[in-house]
Amino acid sequence: MTALRWLGGAAVGLFAAVAFTPAADVLQRSLVVPPPPAAPAEAIVVLGAGLDGSVLSSESLRRALGGITLFRHGLAPALVMLGPGPAVGPTEAEIRRRLATDMGVPPSAVAADPRGLTTRDEARVCWEALAPRGARRILLVTGSQHMPRAAALFRRAGFDVVVAPVEELPLETPRPQRRLELFRGLVRELVARVYNRAAGYL
Amino acid sequence: MASSVAAVLLGRARSRRSLASAAGKALETAGFIVAFFLLNLGLGVLFTLVARATTGGFVSLYVNDDVSVLVLSALQALVLQWWREPEPPSR
Repeated sequence: MTALRWLGGAAVGLFAAVAFTPAADVLQRSLVVPPPPAAPAEAIVVLGAGLDGSVLSSESLRRALGGITLFRHGLAPALVMLGPGPAVGPTEAEIRRRLATDMGVPPSAVAADPRGLTTRDEARVCWEALAPRGARRILLVTGSQHMPRAAALFRRAGFDVVVAPVEELPLETPRPQRRLELFRGLVRELVARVYNRAAGYL
Repeated sequence: MASSVAAVLLGRARSRRSLASAAGKALETAGFIVAFFLLNLGLGVLFTLVARATTGGFVSLYVNDDVSVLVLSALQALVLQWWREPEPPSR
């Protein structure tokens, strides 16, 4: 029972440190490198982040808006929206494509590809779609926590990657719940990196 | 903090065990919650990988990243803790 008390004490201590101190922000800054300014590329690729029922999740919407903003700033002539969907109904990629055209992106410039189920899958399907068209230098749009792993997987697929991360959670917030969400995202991403390395994907 | 102080003041008159002993019991329960959480998470990941391998379909590992897993783990831990407690003497 002593071991359980130590485990419980460690959990309570970790909770207090994450919720009531800026520890999660410090960890975020040490794991997520600030990106360089976005530079021109041959295509903008927006990674999937999932649907909440039939609407874009908050992360998906933030990423889509990030990609549309880059396009509207003239940083690439093509925009690729990714993201799978349910068996019935529009995919995440299709909903984002419609959003992009509604926001002024010419339909001929935006493509939707729902085939990628994982980040590694997305890198593969993008390479299959873009490499034959000569688009190898891409602006990659995803969450800042997800970016290091995503960029590594896309580079491994053959792309020359320019990172353009979007913030999916507010940083430097005094709210304990937000700090816990930030920490949870960091832990999830660290576990994903370990899994990808163990599987030989990175 | 204020509610904790109030609870200590109120509970001091009626409690049959020391505050240190109660805190130790609470940490033990927290330890059980963590243990159940890790076990449930591990089993969830295992089932997800098995489902991927056997069905050929795709199940995201992120389905295991849900706050309900923590809540259910806490319930499991509380039931186990109370189950281990000796029965109160019958009146």
